Amino acid sequence: MSNRILEVSDLDLSFTTYGQRTKVLHNLNFHLDAGERVSLIGQSGSGKTVTMRTIIGTLPMPPGKVENGSIRYEGRELLTLSRKQRNRLKGTGISIVLQDPLLSFNPVLTIHRQMDDIVRYADMRSNKSRSRSARRSHIIDTLKKVQLADGEHILGSYPMQLSGGMRQRVLIGMSLLNNPRLLIADEPGTALDVTTQQEILNLLNTLVSEEGLTLLLITHNLGVVREMADRVYVMQKGRIVEQGTRDEIFASPKHPYTLELMNSVLPLYGDKVVDVADTHHEENAIEIRGVNKIFSRKIGIIRRKTEVNHAVREVFLDISRGDIFGIAGESGSGKTTLAKILLGLHKPNSGEVTIDNQNLDGFQGSTEFRKTVQIVYQNPGSSLNPRRTVADQLKVPLKFTGFSPENYHARIEELLDMVELPRSYASMYPHELSGGQKQRVAIARALSCHPKILVLDEPTSALDVLIQNSVINLLHRLRDEFDLTYVFISHDLSLMRNFCNRVAIMFRGEICEQGRTRDIFANPQHPYTRALLSSIPVITAEEERLKPVVSKAERDAVLTTTTELTD
Amino acid sequence: MVAYLFRRTVALLLVLLGLVILIFIIARIVPGDPARIALGPLATADQVAEMRGEMGLDDPFLVQLWNYLTGLLQGDLGKSLLSSRPVMDDLVAALPATFELVLATIFLQISLSIPLGVLAAVYRDSWIDNITRIISLIGVVTPGFVLAIILQLLASYYLTFFPVTGRLDPGLEFSATKTGLLTIDSLLAGRWDVFGSACLHLFLPSIALAAAGIGQVMRITRSAMIEVGSRDFIEASRSYGIPEQVVTIRYMLRVASIAPLTILGLEFASLIGNAFIVEFVFSWPGIASYGVRTILQKDLNAVIGVVLVSGIFFVVANLVIDVLLGFIDPRNRLRDGSSK
Repeated sequence: MSNRILEVSDLDLSFTTYGQRTKVLHNLNFHLDAGERVSLIGQSGSGKTVTMRTIIGTLPMPPGKVENGSIRYEGRELLTLSRKQRNRLKGTGISIVLQDPLLSFNPVLTIHRQMDDIVRYADMRSNKSRSRSARRSHIIDTLKKVQLADGEHILGSYPMQLSGGMRQRVLIGMSLLNNPRLLIADEPGTALDVTTQQEILNLLNTLVSEEGLTLLLITHNLGVVREMADRVYVMQKGRIVEQGTRDEIFASPKHPYTLELMNSVLPLYGDKVVDVADTHHEENAIEIRGVNKIFSRKIGIIRRKTEVNHAVREVFLDISRGDIFGIAGESGSGKTTLAKILLGLHKPNSGEVTIDNQNLDGFQGSTEFRKTVQIVYQNPGSSLNPRRTVADQLKVPLKFTGFSPENYHARIEELLDMVELPRSYASMYPHELSGGQKQRVAIARALSCHPKILVLDEPTSALDVLIQNSVINLLHRLRDEFDLTYVFISHDLSLMRNFCNRVAIMFRGEICEQGRTRDIFANPQHPYTRALLSSIPVITAEEERLKPVVSKAERDAVLTTTTELTD
Repeated sequence: MVAYLFRRTVALLLVLLGLVILIFIIARIVPGDPARIALGPLATADQVAEMRGEMGLDDPFLVQLWNYLTGLLQGDLGKSLLSSRPVMDDLVAALPATFELVLATIFLQISLSIPLGVLAAVYRDSWIDNITRIISLIGVVTPGFVLAIILQLLASYYLTFFPVTGRLDPGLEFSATKTGLLTIDSLLAGRWDVFGSACLHLFLPSIALAAAGIGQVMRITRSAMIEVGSRDFIEASRSYGIPEQVVTIRYMLRVASIAPLTILGLEFASLIGNAFIVEFVFSWPGIASYGVRTILQKDLNAVIGVVLVSGIFFVVANLVIDVLLGFIDPRNRLRDGSSK
């Protein structure tokens, strides 16, 4: 076929580390035709990223080695090209957008410097030369393609001065500077809030149709795939296990792995949604009355001016005993600040917090308080001490809550049983455990001193979907067994729908809506909630139909788009 | 940025004020009567009492401190008991030699440690990496004075073209009047013979002084380069077709230089202190040799002067590095003050 952009055939790739050869890609076959949007899906470790780096040519070899097969770009074999010719294609033939828009920029160079370098060196390789101002106007034109009108302002900025969504747009602009034909996008937008993510996905779709790009989308998010891809390849452990058009894959997945992936996606609407029942406890575990938290810091030469961030504004909440209470919101909405107030880590500027019928003032910091409220953090990789064994970590809270040392051992075994880990794990170090197992240890640590309330700060978002579900099941079981109350902080509304019995939606420090999960999702009232729900990529047509429909005007009324500089 | 500089300068002055007061107090607490020391053991009690009055030692402590501070503002550091000249004059005479040695050391440290660290990172686990590893190990584990003596022995027996003492060949007539730095002034005057001799004289002491810093900074540069090299934005730059050399220097080193520069700053700041021993070994006529003599003689005004000079150097070196880091890393200067 003449309009074939990329064809990978029979690709085998291995890594050699310390003399050990491990095959990571097995007989990979796939292709992209001009103007197609093709998606490569799979969990982490499936070989998606290695494939991407092999195509673009940044995989270090050695340790990597192509054992067999070919990669053709526009009919030309890439693997036998000289280094120089290969480099010439980078950015000009094939370009990439990496996952995290913040990490993909050099933090110490201005946007202009970074974009100008890309244009300049591409010019040099193709023996063109343009003046500095010609390059600048080309860059500004490219930024217009990604809907950033205020190019001049952006070019003078450093990456950290831009918002997440804007960074992602600039990053896409960067990859387009030298008019590539093939764009490889690695998890575009998944590091961003859902509403921003949706904007980015729309942008990519527009670019494909208007700029004649071909898109290879690498992702684990099936909702994104459903919105973005014409054809899909499913990868598992370095092999393509299923392929087909989007409709084929979503309507009738055949391979067990694809099915497993599909089933692990939590439904937002429809029959499969799990409704979590209330526990009918009358008394409140937590009462929050008119809480405000204002962060201020002094700036300027003589530190007279004050910069104020009203992070939490007039919040009232009642959380009953036994509730799984979800606090949802995007980054910067104040949900984490609110959680820290509950833990006594931040003192509110005004308002009252009552936990377990005791006023937080005075209660906080006492041993009794520690026995009441505990927290599980987002990333067990960093919340566990890498140099201490599981048993040592579990001992810490025991020590501080007056547990007698002779009972440590029994309690640790009991805790490991509770989180369904083998007792032998007590002597292991965190790096010997998988992500899901580490999070179980973190949960066990939080439970060690018999707390009544657990604050869960995105407890599953660092985990793969399949593991996520097992942790959620564990948390449900523990709640029933020990009569716990959960405060669940997350931006993942699908998860919240299936995990919480009540939710509150936070928006710019305020709680804009709260109630029974079922009611809020079925009939969202606040325009922000509606915009939020409508932005979530779902995997079935039925869910798509049940999602609230939000017009652009309605959406713009609550959300600032990422194309404008916010100040 | 201006606000940042302003605040840092104010802080610098406060630190120096604190330093002066502290040294002054220590100088007054140490046993031994300065008047007695000045006059020698043969002076009578009356003579000593008279001297005490003359030196202001009988005034209340705060008055003494006040007089000293006001004198300091006018550039008066008191009189040296040893040379019976104003301490300021002695310092001005000794400072250029030390300054030249320290500058040469800094030059060696920067020009050797960072490039070698970068090479070691780029050619990781190759012979280049191994050689730099050995060099840095030797540099870090060998104390400056041991290295100084070893170098001196080597120079005396084998590398005889390297002079082992002083700043200049005794036969050469030259007085550095413009900057006080022999290398600069000889170039300005077009005296190549003097320049060559001054450089040869500088070589061994500055190597001895620089070695520890070079070893340390080289290793830190290497590990910072390797760490930065694994970040996403480096992968991104490569994918956009930016040439490897540019990626290494502009994209990696610029970010990776933050840690080594911080260490270099501390290293520079401690150079004057380390120079005490190296100067002594090489009979370098600098402030450190002067300091050693005055401390042994308990020449308190002079000691305060020497400590003050090294204090100023310490604080200024830190400030320079901080400002440099602010330029290299926008996060430092933007976080502080301006809008976001």
